[in-house]
Amino acid sequence: MHLQLITLAGIKVDDEIYEMIAPTAAGEIAVFPEHEPLVTLAIPGAIAIRHKKGDPDNRLEYFAISGGIIEISQKAIRVLVDEADHGDDIIEAESQAALERAIKMRDQAENQVERDHAHQLVDRHQVRLKVAELRRRHKR
Amino acid sequence: MASTQVLKSRIRSVKNTRQITKAMQLVAASKMRRSQEATKASAPYTLAARQLLTALSSHTSVKNHPLFTRRDIKTRLLVVIASDKGLAGAYNSNIMRLYVEQLKADDNSSVTNTTIAIGRKAAQFVARIKDTSVLGVYEDLPDQPDGSELRAIMESIRTKFVAGDVDAVDILYTDFVSSIRQDPTIIRVLPAGFEHAQEAGVASDVTYEPSTEEVLDGVAYRLIGAQIYQALLDARASEHSMRMMAMKNATDNASDLIDDLTLEMNKARQSAITQELAEISGGVEALNE
Repeated sequence: MHLQLITLAGIKVDDEIYEMIAPTAAGEIAVFPEHEPLVTLAIPGAIAIRHKKGDPDNRLEYFAISGGIIEISQKAIRVLVDEADHGDDIIEAESQAALERAIKMRDQAENQVERDHAHQLVDRHQVRLKVAELRRRHKR
Repeated sequence: MASTQVLKSRIRSVKNTRQITKAMQLVAASKMRRSQEATKASAPYTLAARQLLTALSSHTSVKNHPLFTRRDIKTRLLVVIASDKGLAGAYNSNIMRLYVEQLKADDNSSVTNTTIAIGRKAAQFVARIKDTSVLGVYEDLPDQPDGSELRAIMESIRTKFVAGDVDAVDILYTDFVSSIRQDPTIIRVLPAGFEHAQEAGVASDVTYEPSTEEVLDGVAYRLIGAQIYQALLDARASEHSMRMMAMKNATDNASDLIDDLTLEMNKARQSAITQELAEISGGVEALNE
């Protein structure tokens, strides 16, 4: 099954995979080869990719994604998200600090535009933090 | 004629300036290349979104979607993209001229408008204008804005548009045509336009979850987001390119100035020597008599 992870900054993944676990509006879904054709909405969260059948959980590849669209056909998946950060690039302590800054900014926002901006930042760092935690749990 | 001392110190200071402008030119050139590459990177995203929209349009009526609804334009939201820093030649003044033209056009057709300013220079300019109200200001966006900034801008304009507070949203930015040509441009992002993609990449017997309407909403949102992202990147590439040209001119001017000053200094030195010689030979003549 071919997976393409397309973001505004370019194509992040373009590879054959075995399984993808993704957060959608109706809960987490796991997609295996020969899945029925489906287009659904992704919500901010963590995408996990299992490259080969039988790979253990600690070999899963994680991406922190923003909201987007997942398009599944028999042999291919296309994930269209604004941004996707590779789990390896996320440093937990940094995300924690950034989240705290974002929350502070949200509380001190003076107008709607600033509030919108801070809200987005809070969401973003919450997702990144979640991915960092997931990775830590599986690496043990 | 100024003394050689004064000229020497002026030459030194112009040389320092030239060093700085030369460095800025090189920095701007490399930043421009990076921005240019980034503008290309978002192309697959736009294509995929457009294909999805084409596939969706056969299932549901796109035109009735809130983001595609056309109304009589009574209020307009202008998003002005300029730079945070100056020293970029006519970059900021060009885009501000376009902005003022738009404000005048609105004034004549009695359309009220409101503005979101992106970049410190835009914010400073907009704050001085009485014809418009300022909805918000974004400063210090990174060279390649991440999704959170983009979504924040999207969220602000979508809420305004869907609620009916504004009937159209236009973006004013500088289109990066080539490294020597950048045009101030205005594009309408809302109500959204709809172009059929050449080939639809989506099978026809697809299930849409939770519903076609909600998926359409997501796709439309992404397409508009891609447009804004493209505008932000183009504006950035234009800014760096214009700064590069401005700094190149400044470096050339500094070089010319150094040449002129050196010539003048040599003349001053030579005339001082000539005068001294004349005085000495005058003195010798006087002694011989």
